[in-house]
This record gives sequence, C-alpha cells and structure tokens, in this order.
Amino acid sequence: MRFLEDIIVKFGSVDRRVIFVLIGLAVLVPLLNPIDLAIRPTPSSQRVYDAVDSIPDNSKVLISFDYGPSTKPEIHPMTLGVMRHILSQDRGHKIYITCLWPDGLYMAKDALKIINEEYDLVEYEDYVLLGFRPGNEAVVKGLASDLRKVFTVDAAQKSINEIPMMEGVNNLNDFQFIFTGSAGYPGTFEWVQYGGDPTGVPLSSGTTSIQVNEVMPYVQSGQLQGILAGMPGAAEYEKLIDTPGIAIQGMAAQSYGHIVIVLFIILGNLAYFITERRERKY
Amino acid sequence: MDNKRVVIYTVGILGIVIFTFILSQFHIFNSSRSFMFIVLLTVIMVLFNEIQNARKDSDSIFLRDIPGLKAVEEAVGRSTEMGRPILYVPGIMDMNEVETVAGVIILGHVAQMTAQYETGLDVPVARSIVMQAARESCKEAYLSQGRPEMFNEDMVHYISDDQFAYAAGVNGIMQRDKPAACLYMGKFYAESLLFAETGNGIGAIQIAGTASQAQIPFFVTACDYTLMGEEFFAASAYLSRKPELIGGVKTQDTVKLMLIGLIIVCLVMRALFDLDIVSFNLLDMIG
Amino acid sequence: MIWKRYIPIAIVGFFGSLTLFGWFIENEGIKSFIDDDATQWYDIIASFAIFLGALNLLKLQFLKVLKRKVGWEYNVVAILSFLIVFVIGFFMRGAFVVDIPNTDIQSTYFTQGAAEEAVNHLKDSGITASITPAQWGAHIQTEGGLFKWMFDNIFTPLSATMFALLAFYVASASYRAFRARNFEATLLLLAGIIIMIGRVPIGSLISSWMIMYLLVLVIGILINTYFRSRQLVFGWVALGLIGVTVLGSSMGWPIDQPAVFFLPALQEWIYTVPNLAGARAIMIGIGLGVIVTSLRYIFGLEKSYIGDQ
Repeated sequence: MRFLEDIIVKFGSVDRRVIFVLIGLAVLVPLLNPIDLAIRPTPSSQRVYDAVDSIPDNSKVLISFDYGPSTKPEIHPMTLGVMRHILSQDRGHKIYITCLWPDGLYMAKDALKIINEEYDLVEYEDYVLLGFRPGNEAVVKGLASDLRKVFTVDAAQKSINEIPMMEGVNNLNDFQFIFTGSAGYPGTFEWVQYGGDPTGVPLSSGTTSIQVNEVMPYVQSGQLQGILAGMPGAAEYEKLIDTPGIAIQGMAAQSYGHIVIVLFIILGNLAYFITERRERKY
Repeated sequence: MDNKRVVIYTVGILGIVIFTFILSQFHIFNSSRSFMFIVLLTVIMVLFNEIQNARKDSDSIFLRDIPGLKAVEEAVGRSTEMGRPILYVPGIMDMNEVETVAGVIILGHVAQMTAQYETGLDVPVARSIVMQAARESCKEAYLSQGRPEMFNEDMVHYISDDQFAYAAGVNGIMQRDKPAACLYMGKFYAESLLFAETGNGIGAIQIAGTASQAQIPFFVTACDYTLMGEEFFAASAYLSRKPELIGGVKTQDTVKLMLIGLIIVCLVMRALFDLDIVSFNLLDMIG
Repeated sequence: MIWKRYIPIAIVGFFGSLTLFGWFIENEGIKSFIDDDATQWYDIIASFAIFLGALNLLKLQFLKVLKRKVGWEYNVVAILSFLIVFVIGFFMRGAFVVDIPNTDIQSTYFTQGAAEEAVNHLKDSGITASITPAQWGAHIQTEGGLFKWMFDNIFTPLSATMFALLAFYVASASYRAFRARNFEATLLLLAGIIIMIGRVPIGSLISSWMIMYLLVLVIGILINTYFRSRQLVFGWVALGLIGVTVLGSSMGWPIDQPAVFFLPALQEWIYTVPNLAGARAIMIGIGLGVIVTSLRYIFGLEKSYIGDQ
C-alpha cells in the first residue's frame, strides 16, 4: 500500500514534459489509426440543422468565414458541413460568401475548392465569393444597410453589377439565412448585434469551444438559431447530415486527449490527498 | 444606499422619464429607443452624483480589497530585488477596445512604480496605435517620478498584428529575458493560456486583468492573481484613489442595484401578466 | 499643453458624445457617420499607423543584428521574412495563369518567365496557350500563386502549431491547478471533469449506471474518512450496490437513464443552467464596467490614456 502511495505521490509532481508527451501520443495514435465512436447530436447542433433545413426554397444564404488557419480544424468542418447541407437539399439555394477576417478569404477559397469537387458548382450561378473587407463590425453594419456600398467588386475584382446572382441583393434583408463560422473578433457577436438581430434574418453560428460560453445567452434568447460548439459540434453536424468528415475523424483523438487530462487530474488529486495526510500525520 | 440617495435617484429618474417623453414628441428623436435613453441618462446622473459625493468625502467610500492590485507593487518589488525586468502585456486588441485603454492606464501606474524602483519595463504590443499610446503613458509616468532619463522609447515595442505571431514573440521574450513579473492587462483571446503557462514555466509572478469572459478561467488557473471583469475596470480607481474614479466604481454598484430591482419588478410583472392579473406586458413596453 | 492635453480630450468628448447620443437621433447623416464613417475613419488611421509599428520592428531587429546580440541569427530571419513577403505582396504578382482556350485546363506559375517557358513547351506540342497575369489585389489569393503558396505552406502550419500548443498547455495547467483544496475548488474540479468527458463521444459510452456505482463507492470512502465506522461503510456500500443493481435491472439498464447521471446530459445541463447564469451575470457586470469606463473617457473624467497622471 505504501509502495502504491509512493508511486501516486510521484505522479503529483511529474515533469510537465511527460504530460506533453502523453497528450501528444493520445492525440496522434487515434489520428493514425482511426477509431469509430458514436456521435450523439446535442440540442444546440440540432437547432442549427433544423434552421438550415427550414430555409425556404430558392433562398439566398450568406456564409461568413470569420476564422483563420489556426482554428481551421475546428471551424472549417462546420462551414463545409453547412455548405454541403444547403447544396445537398437541391432546392435552388444560392450561396454568398463574405469574410470579416483577411485569412477568412483563404479559408473560403479552400472550402469552395473542396465543395466544387463534390457538387460541381458554377461561380456566379451557384455561389459568389464577395471576399474580405476591412472594418470589422462596420462591414456588418454596412451589409445591413447597403451591401453595394461595402462590396463594389467581388474577390476576383468583378463588378457586383455585372453578376446576375447579385440582382435584387441590396442588404442583409435580402437574405433568408446567415451562417457565420467565427473564431473571435469580429465574428458571432458582431453578426448578432449588427446583422441578425436588427434585420430579423435567421442567424446561426459555429464557434470554437471556448467561445460557446459567451455565445450561449444569445442562443437561449433566440437571437441565434443554435450553435455548433467546437469540433464536437462540427462532428455532430457531420453526423446529422450523414457526411463523415475530418471532425468525426478527430473526435477519437479529442476523446482520448480529454481522458488523459482527466486521469492526470485524478492522479494529481490523489497525490495531493496522500501528501496532505502524511503531513498531518507527521 | 442611504435615504437621501434613494430620494435623489427616484426624483432624478422621474425627471429623466418626463424629459424623454417630451423629447419623443419631436420627430428627430428615435422613440423606439426611449428605454435605453432613460437608462443612459440614469447612469450619467448616478455617475455625476457619486463623483460629487466622492469629491466631498472619498475616504468614507468602502472599496473591498482586491488582492491582485495589492500584488502589483509586490511584483515590482520582487523584480527589483531579482534584478530582472517586468513584462507588461496590454492585450492584443487596438485602442478602440475599452479594455485596451484600461490596460494602458494601468500601465501608467506600473510605469510610475518601475520608475520609482528603477526596475526594467518591457511592453511588447500588437498594435501600432497602442504602441504610441503606451509610450506616451510610460513617458509621462517616468517624468512625473522625476526619472525622464530612465525612459527609453524602445521599452514599448511592436511585434505583430497577428495573434499567434504576437504570442510567439512574447513567449520568446519570456524565455530569453526571464522577467520576474508578468502582467497581462487588457483584451485577450486564445493566446492568454500561452502567455500564462510560459510565464509559469519561467517562475515569474503573474497578475492578469481582463474582461474577456472566455479567458478569465485560463488566467485564474495559471496566474497568481486575476482581476476579473469589473475589478479590472476598477483598477485605475484603486491605484490612483482619485475621487472621480472612485465615484465611477460606486456608480457601477449603484446601477447594478437598480438593475437587480428592475429585473425583480419585470419578473413579477411578467408573472402577473401571464396570470391575467394585469393587462399589459412590461417587457414589451421596455422593448 | 493645449495640443497634448485639451485638444485630445475635446476630440474624445465630441466624437464620443456624437456616437453615443447620435444613436437616439433620427438623422441620416448622423446615422451614416455612426454606422459607417466613424469606424472606417478609425480603420484608415490604424492602417496608416501600421507603418510606425513595422518601422519600429525593423529598427529593433536591425539593432540586434548590428550589435550581434544573443540569437541575432533569428533576427536576420525575421528581417528577411518581412522583406520577402513585403516585396512579393506589393511588387511581384507571383501569379501568372497559363490557360488553354476552350478547355478547363489551366496552371499558375510564380514568375512570367516560368509561364512563358510553359507556353513555349505547349507551343512545341502544337497547343496554343495564353498567359493571364492575376489582377493586383486578387493576386494574393489566386490559387497556385506565390502568396497563396506562402500562406498555405508557411503561415498556416505556423499558426496551427501555435494554436496546437494550447492542447498541451491546457493539460499541464489543469493538472497543476485542479486540486480539491476546498469546496469551491472541488466543485470546479468535478464540473471540469464532467464537461471534459461529457462533451466528447466517449462520454456517451459511459453508462449512467457506472456513474451511480462509482458514486456509491466514493460516498463510502467519504463515510470512512469522516465517520470511521466499518459497519456504516459496509452498510452503505452494500445497500448502495444492491439498490443500483435492482433499479438497473428493473429499468433494463438503459445507457442514458437516469439522465442526471448520464454525463452528456449532465454536461448539457451544466452548460445551459448554472454556467449560463454565471456567464450572464459576468456579462452584465462587464457591460456596466464598459459603460461607466467609457463615460469617464467621454466626459474627460479619466485622462490617463493620454499620459495625464
């Protein structure tokens, strides 16, 4: 018993590099040897799915890429999932893409490249890449009042007036749904405060796990139609649209990573209690 | 709240409501935002009243101890003893964020202490305008302490606008220069834990202050002291003890009490509306 | 004195008041200023201010190289990286598209010379191709272009690496900080464990009955710690285990019932009830702090941000 206690006490003061190595292995091994785990969609992810599902036929959908390469693993599967869901419905929806982050433009191009391979989209008939504009929340406010003042040309420098898809699109009220993949500022808050809420256009969002806490009040009040929370949220959405992707693949790695952290926490606490008890004794 | 204040505020709010009603008769006033206008004028009224009270007698106003602010001087002292500099990170956002401005203000107070104790100060920033504002703040602080020769423009220096490039740069500074104290005061995002863990790794005393809700748990976990939310905004009042600023802290508390009262009233009125005891919905009137 | 002190305060006061009270005024000009112009003015000033930051960065890097400070080689890398990206972004297109007419076939080259060489090769094979340089502005995001290549192969992996560090740091921070020192710390610890396990698919594989058995054993340990009575411990553990077994058998051992012990349901409740209540309260407090602090700046009550101590 004493021997076991000594081992546990040693765990209480393990070098953090050991923790790093074990976390690294816990994440790497499942990525190299994929394991299937059952995904159960949460109510917030289901709400996003239902919101996208209930978009009327022949709608204009605005998707905003408000993230960069650092958060791509978490948010990219969400935006891909939403785009796949919209396009797979085959109900005449058109996709309009904006970016509040400069990096978002590259994320959007990457997403379009992947989606084009699956759905054979035609630019300016099925989608328009409006591109990035600096100004953070001013861009959202501008879109809400006069889109053509904010975007005179699209990302390929083509005049908005020459794009047939842009006919009749003057501000956010002309869209039937907005989705934002957001990693921080500007992002979900700005879309809720200056976009979705003032115009009443249904708005959903996908964010990093850490932001969900801050965004939940908007979901509860109905200002956001659900939220995709981090990679688990992205995996749940992939499950709902029945199209497994990198989020589902990553869930095993995330699961084992969490288990390793919890094990270390438990061992650390056991070591703490044993040390406390010994100190009290002596 | 004493009776005199209650009377002043009640009369004041009534006056504001009447004023708003009169204004709403004019076309130029957006009457759909009347409630927010009333709230705004109420906050301004409370602010000026509390500042006046604080100017008369600021010593009688109770401010609870905030360990993080007491620890700032301790951190500066520790750095002086160890002969190592202080690292001050004013957040990663620009001067259009209130948190960044608050961070620059606290930097001024910290710079006064470093001037007094002759300790090195390193302020890496992520925005050019913040760099200029922080330089101005530090320069004035050193001047006020009579140590202009100790001020060097390059103590406030720019690294990068990009979040993780900035985080990498600051982490590098921590690993190379090994500051004895690391202060993180401003708006942060995901890089907060990168800073805090690296600071922990080098054995620095760490004090964080932010109103970024999502980052507070990371700072609480990894730093020695954390100023959470309102404590961060009250920090300048604590450090300077100016009546105007103490009045501001008191205003926050007073308005909070008023809000709690309003929430309870709305709760009761809504319940009465749902039970068909009253015929109007107060929440609809408020908008 | 006037320049440094009163004029900045006046500017802050005027524009702050205009933006604040302008929200209540029905005037197109003021609305347009508040919604569009004010923020755009700021962005334009911040964009020009980037030169100050960039020059400061270069100056400090150069000085370290000149003085051969420790690690000066890394400063050389920093300077070269800055200059290379600057030149590519502003002076080199880096994206020349070779197009074969009437087909979908196109290829992008970094330089005009490489594009011309490709065209000549195609010409030798009897295929006519044309070169279209990417438009300025669009050249930074043209697929196959040099800037996009740098973004995909240098910037993206570097950013992702820095973000990935968080996974390791979360582990070491949790391990170090989550100690059950008192009631609040224990509550934090338990909530953290429930959220971490409940949020991932593995949490839904853990039956609520397993959690109930675990609880029976943990409570037994606590009884032993505080009451030191073997009979009490034995009685509790025996009753507990039998009770859970009987309940489970009668319900058919559903994995997610009782819901209060099913980790995904419990974590959802923690997220949407106590966590949300706390988050709202903090948001309101922070919002009040922002309002009062902003009013202090607008009315000139706080001047420290311009260096006026």
